Amino acid sequence: MLKKIWAIFLRDLKVGSRDSLTLIIIIMPILLGIGVNLLTPSINDTTVNLALLEGENPAQAEYFADFAKVELFPNEEAIETRVKKRDHIVGILPDGDRYYIMSQGNEPESVIEMAKLVNMYYAEGINLEDATAKLFEFGETVPPLKKMLTNTLIIMISILGGMLITFNIIEEKTDHTISAMNVTTVSKNAYLLGKSLVGMLYPVFSTIVILLITGFRDVNLGQLILMVIVSSFLSLLIGFIQGINNDDVMSAAASVKMLFLPVGAAIAAIELLNQKWQILFYWIPFYWTYKGNDAVLLNSATWPQILLYSGIVLALGLIVYLYLSPKIRKGLA
Amino acid sequence: MIKVEGLYHSYSNDENYAVKNANFEIPKGEIFGFLGPSGAGKSTTQGILTGLLQLQKGNVNVAGYDVKNISQKMFNKIGMSFEQSNVYSKLTAKENLDFYRKLFDGQTREPADLLKLVGLDGKENVRAGEFSKGMKHRLTFARSMINNPELWFLDEPTTGLDPAIASEIKDIIRKENNNGVTVFLTTHNMFIADELCNRVAFIVDGEIKLIDSPKNLKLQYGEQLVDVEFRKNGTVVKETFSTIKEEEKQRLQKVILDYEIQSMHTKEATLEEIFIKVTGRGLV
Repeated sequence: MLKKIWAIFLRDLKVGSRDSLTLIIIIMPILLGIGVNLLTPSINDTTVNLALLEGENPAQAEYFADFAKVELFPNEEAIETRVKKRDHIVGILPDGDRYYIMSQGNEPESVIEMAKLVNMYYAEGINLEDATAKLFEFGETVPPLKKMLTNTLIIMISILGGMLITFNIIEEKTDHTISAMNVTTVSKNAYLLGKSLVGMLYPVFSTIVILLITGFRDVNLGQLILMVIVSSFLSLLIGFIQGINNDDVMSAAASVKMLFLPVGAAIAAIELLNQKWQILFYWIPFYWTYKGNDAVLLNSATWPQILLYSGIVLALGLIVYLYLSPKIRKGLA
Repeated sequence: MIKVEGLYHSYSNDENYAVKNANFEIPKGEIFGFLGPSGAGKSTTQGILTGLLQLQKGNVNVAGYDVKNISQKMFNKIGMSFEQSNVYSKLTAKENLDFYRKLFDGQTREPADLLKLVGLDGKENVRAGEFSKGMKHRLTFARSMINNPELWFLDEPTTGLDPAIASEIKDIIRKENNNGVTVFLTTHNMFIADELCNRVAFIVDGEIKLIDSPKNLKLQYGEQLVDVEFRKNGTVVKETFSTIKEEEKQRLQKVILDYEIQSMHTKEATLEEIFIKVTGRGLV
């Protein structure tokens, strides 16, 4: 049976490699991953960067180096050119006996405030030893925007896995080959498993590629793969049913895209809504997927937590399965 | 090889049956023709025999397997050539056959041999999507032989093929049958049925009206007459003689001896004529 399941998977893979739409789906997450990298700073790029004039005030540069990453430039024009670059760096330049902040305008407020504060501390002669404050961390060890985009991308990939199945089923329907499959020794379950492999392995593979591209290389891969597999289960079911219900890829793709609505709602709920409203979104499997992925990307996830989230996603997926399974089997008969 | 008893099937799950009380048996090695017009119940019966449709009522045994509790292993013994070509258009002819051979347990045939057999040699590496309708049909036909079936279901195997290719397909069917393969042939083409079948069943409105060999049917329903055209005193005369009545047989003999014969035709009935006579219906 395994040999036959594998044969079905390889066939789907071969046909997919000859279909332009499928190739776009396979390449798109990689391009989006690169896009995430371009739009957001690097995962390690969490310190404040300051640009100073070389030799203007060496003591100040040394002082600032305790609080921020300092880059030195020969003149004001060089600092201006550097500040205009993509990442967040602000210049601190002399203006008579005072200093002014040079910024591009799109830097986070916290970066500007930090630059102002460090400059003020130096002017007031405050040293690290003078600090009496205790250190509190908010768990923001990675850029939140990058984490959110990467998490969204991982969920999107699992939905695209379902879309690959949809395309495969539509191809079988167009070629009328389902009836030919039904007169072979391949059982319905083996056929469904064979078809599911593409939709399951593609998200796993693409997620690993996305992690490599976006720089989340130190996360617990086992936890993330578990979350990806359970959330792909739901996408597979939707992929099958949309393949059965549609006769052309464009209308099927449009139908599968509807899944992005609950995904968007879940992400918006977690990122924007107060805790008391969260309960309204518990029914969305992607809500739990997002939470689980988020914890993994933050490197704060525990196995019991991930098992709980993946269990909820699986349970919700099973409810969908119980509802859709007879329709899928009938549709493939 | 096939035994069907009291088979009924309704698509609406009521008394509106697409197949009504079908009973027949096909021994090993026979070519059995299932003939009827569109919508008669041929495909429904074949669908049940091949497990494509759920058995609702009756007993059906195919290749030693009870269709009520169908076993996937049964398909190792069965080959099915569909009326509508159904091959993967994005795979080449060889890739199509290579894929299907992996879906059976026993010894399978070499794709290259099968492609040669159906006249598709040289097209092994051409994608099926680029094939003509006839070529796709031949590929579908070739695929049905991939698992060396003992029981071969053929649904309109020569439809859409040019006469030369159709003749080759008929030769392949005969050859496979000579090797012991049992053939269940579904068609509305009476000529192919007449040429190939040991026995035929006429099905109309879901009911089997008759099962017999083409030869017996012709004897039973054909008129035993001969039409003769001959030249008598410079003019062409046309007369019909019975081949049974002694008096007319002698007259025919005399005509042959005394006059120049222009043409002579027996009035043997065709299967189509017999079908219309028996069922009161045409075949389209």
